[in-house]
Amino acid sequence: MQDIATQCPKFIVKPHGGAVKEIAITKSEFTIGRKDGNDLVVEDPAVSGRHARVVKIHAVYFLEDLGSTNGTFVNGQKIERRQLRDTDVVAIGKHRLIFREENATPAAEGAGAVSASDRTMVITGSTSPSRGLSAQKTGTIQVVSGRTNRKEYQLTKQLTIIGSSPDATIKLAGWFTPKTAAMIGRRGQGYYIAAADDGKKVLVNNQAVKGQVDLKDGDLVEVAGARMYFYLRDPAAR
Amino acid sequence: MCAATRNIRSGSGSRMMSSYAAKSDVGLRRSHNEDRFCADPELGLYLVCDGMGGCNAGEVASGIAVEVIHRHLADASRKGQLPFIGEYDPNFLPQTNRLASAVRLANHTVHRESWRRPEYAGMGTTVVSVLLADRILSVAHVGDSRAYLIRGNAMQLLTADHSLVCDQVRQGLLTEEEAEQSFQKHVLTRALGVESTVEVELGEVPVMSGDIVLLCSDGLTSGVAPDEVLRAVRYVNDPDAMTERLIRLANAAGGNDNTTVVVVVLRESVPPGLWRRIRKRLRN
Repeated sequence: MQDIATQCPKFIVKPHGGAVKEIAITKSEFTIGRKDGNDLVVEDPAVSGRHARVVKIHAVYFLEDLGSTNGTFVNGQKIERRQLRDTDVVAIGKHRLIFREENATPAAEGAGAVSASDRTMVITGSTSPSRGLSAQKTGTIQVVSGRTNRKEYQLTKQLTIIGSSPDATIKLAGWFTPKTAAMIGRRGQGYYIAAADDGKKVLVNNQAVKGQVDLKDGDLVEVAGARMYFYLRDPAAR
Repeated sequence: MCAATRNIRSGSGSRMMSSYAAKSDVGLRRSHNEDRFCADPELGLYLVCDGMGGCNAGEVASGIAVEVIHRHLADASRKGQLPFIGEYDPNFLPQTNRLASAVRLANHTVHRESWRRPEYAGMGTTVVSVLLADRILSVAHVGDSRAYLIRGNAMQLLTADHSLVCDQVRQGLLTEEEAEQSFQKHVLTRALGVESTVEVELGEVPVMSGDIVLLCSDGLTSGVAPDEVLRAVRYVNDPDAMTERLIRLANAAGGNDNTTVVVVVLRESVPPGLWRRIRKRLRN
């Protein structure tokens, strides 16, 4: 993994409201300014002709302000000279430069660098891995008896309300039907049913539900007089 | 600018009566507190934000977020017809979408402010927010501040940290123990205000009388094990005493960071079975 260890750090350059670009810091002296001839040319009237430079000393990168008119800021602090660390945010004019040193390893940080690792930082753009939503099974409710608005329901919601409430997916008719008689929730790969504890009784396989219970494929559910079956099938089987 | 305590107040915005307490502490190592919180039992809104950024930018970010989220929900409850910020997700209830809308608006505002001054460059904040309506708890979060639901002897984590180590645990690259030890524990993959838009993670859970909802910044969870947290709230009735205990635990574990805890204890306004008892008495 030699090539990774010698990889150059880079700046992610963000102009206000403009397109983001990346530039590698390939030289041991890397200049930033408005005028041509700088390694990073920043078209911004608030940036000086020769604004700042990055100097590499051994394996460490330093940022120096070159006497700019409007100053150079690192993580909100105005600096003259400052060591750059991974994810530092540099502000010059209306531009933000994010310093990325991706091969920064625990060894490179060292045990002494507690203050740096203690600081909360953000790496955006690395979208969290999707939790396999496509592979997730979707539960179904099939109504056998009772006054419901439909005979079959796909349980795609996080929380499916059974009752007379306008927010209810499984709508029950009837004068004394509670607004929320029960709720079916998703958790991980499975489903559970929760009784609304002031409402009418909720039964699963003829057993009264106290609090909430997990639902299994083929369970018989009774809510406020309506009887329905819960199915949990593989999406591939459809 | 450090510790802030709110005493118990009760609200009856929904059929659930809730008593709550909130406490924020600077800890033992930091000079200032970048955490902010809000508790509004009338709206059923409780939230914690943990700010980050140089100089005072961290508390600026968390302060803006708390204010914007609270105002958006207060406006929505007054006017009703307030446009939603961002995409409406039909898999969640209207109140959960409203909470998401508030968090997105806060992201927009913090991001806009971060460009206004160079001292604010790169500032951001976590947010964990819950909205209690009837028997449903809506949860919206970004970052590594957490929400727990405590029922009896079980404590359920309602949020998944948006952090590098948490992603690696999900992918099976790290174990929970390795994650606890990792030097990258503080690296977030999502935060409010850093980008012009943010993906807000949403959740909904049914709640019942006796449940306890706990919101906290990572000052609590980075040093205190879940079973210690559970023990601190389990055998106490007074939410104020719970928050006191939790802050004490966080500081006993090193107090490396600011710690903020909001505890909401849910109680039924009409005890279950009351009607049955009345009917029984009438018959006799």
